[in-house]
Amino acid sequence: MASVIETRKSRLLLLGLVLAHLVAISKQVERGGQSLLGQGLFALVTPLQAVITGTIRGVSGGWAGYVDLRRVYEQNRSLQERVRVLESHLQARQEQAQEAERLREMLQLKKELPLGVLAAEVIVREGAPWARTITLDKGSADGVRLNAPVISATGVVGRVIAVGPHASRVQLILDGQAGVGVRIERSRVTGILVGQTGMLTAVIGDLVMKYVPSLADVVVGDVAVTSGLDHLYPAGLVVGRVRSAARGNGLFREILVTPSAQFNTLEEVLVVRTPIPDDTMTQGVR
Amino acid sequence: MRVFWTAVALLAALLLQTALTQIAPGHARILDPFLIVLVYCGLTGGEMYGMLAGAAAGWIQDIHFGGSVLGLSGLTKILIGFSVGISSTRFHLVEAAARALVLFVATAADALIYTQLAAVFDVAAYEITPVGILVRALVNAVVGVAAYEILERRGRLGMGVRRRA
Repeated sequence: MASVIETRKSRLLLLGLVLAHLVAISKQVERGGQSLLGQGLFALVTPLQAVITGTIRGVSGGWAGYVDLRRVYEQNRSLQERVRVLESHLQARQEQAQEAERLREMLQLKKELPLGVLAAEVIVREGAPWARTITLDKGSADGVRLNAPVISATGVVGRVIAVGPHASRVQLILDGQAGVGVRIERSRVTGILVGQTGMLTAVIGDLVMKYVPSLADVVVGDVAVTSGLDHLYPAGLVVGRVRSAARGNGLFREILVTPSAQFNTLEEVLVVRTPIPDDTMTQGVR
Repeated sequence: MRVFWTAVALLAALLLQTALTQIAPGHARILDPFLIVLVYCGLTGGEMYGMLAGAAAGWIQDIHFGGSVLGLSGLTKILIGFSVGISSTRFHLVEAAARALVLFVATAADALIYTQLAAVFDVAAYEITPVGILVRALVNAVVGVAAYEILERRGRLGMGVRRRA
């Protein structure tokens, strides 16, 4: 019985609701525009809708921003990696350019020298602290002989003191035990240049020009070239420039010469292969 | 309590529908969360409950997503809610497959009734193709059944906890 009443009630309600809706819709359609009810309800719910839309847009905007940030982060990492690679390539290119320049200078010198020379690369720069030596990648198999002079594009480097089949050791003129017979180019005053690094010092210093009489004409700035009198170095090669020329206390002057060879950046040198000719060198070497 | 949870469900449906219109504007109508809510109300509460839930759902839909004429969705959903409620008292609609069928039919009926009512009142309604109705019915059926399962599983779990306590 209750069920029947319930059913009847629901059907009546349905009928009422349907009729109400039909009337409401008809009224709206007759007016041809939005009803007052519609406008009111719309105004009521619009803020809610705006809040929902704003929230969704905020969340999606935040997410899009996060995704973009991640993408930018990845892009940044990738670009940084690329910059590192390109920097290393650039460095290699610069290195190659410098090497090419050095080799060009060496080639020029080789052309101008009246001697048979062999280009060699420095593979070890320093020996013991008290012995200034370098090691070259050419040895007896390449034609390097003992006591062969070694020169660079800027000046005399030293002489070969040990020869292996495929490598050789060169005593630099900076070494305290080294000596080079030199002549002041301007005044033709001769002497012997010796190194100062026989002691425990790593500083590349000046050379001392010994046995120059106290009345000899030597002034600061004079160029010292090999004299050839030592029968080791061919005459006429530039060794250095006079940095100071003091009178001294005894019979000889105290003269310091700055070597012209760039010992701290030596990478390629020329080893003289042929026996040393007479003390005549081309002007171009000077 | 039932009224409260129905209001919560309708609010969730509103949020979901709004989100869909923002996320996928062209495909927002493919899912009708209000229909899923009112079918559940009809299935579990009978024709009266289904009808009133349908009225509420329809009006919310009218106000938020309808055109210039209010009440078309309301009237449609009242009829759907009532029909589902009546069906739930006549048939055993507890299994997932049966509920999916109800959702499928209800979605198709909703689209047809709405377009027919719009035609009767000479109101411009959204165009919907048979394939569109089919897709929407399938989507509603799948999503609706999944939602009902989750809801009832949680309800059973909650009941179990209360019994143990």
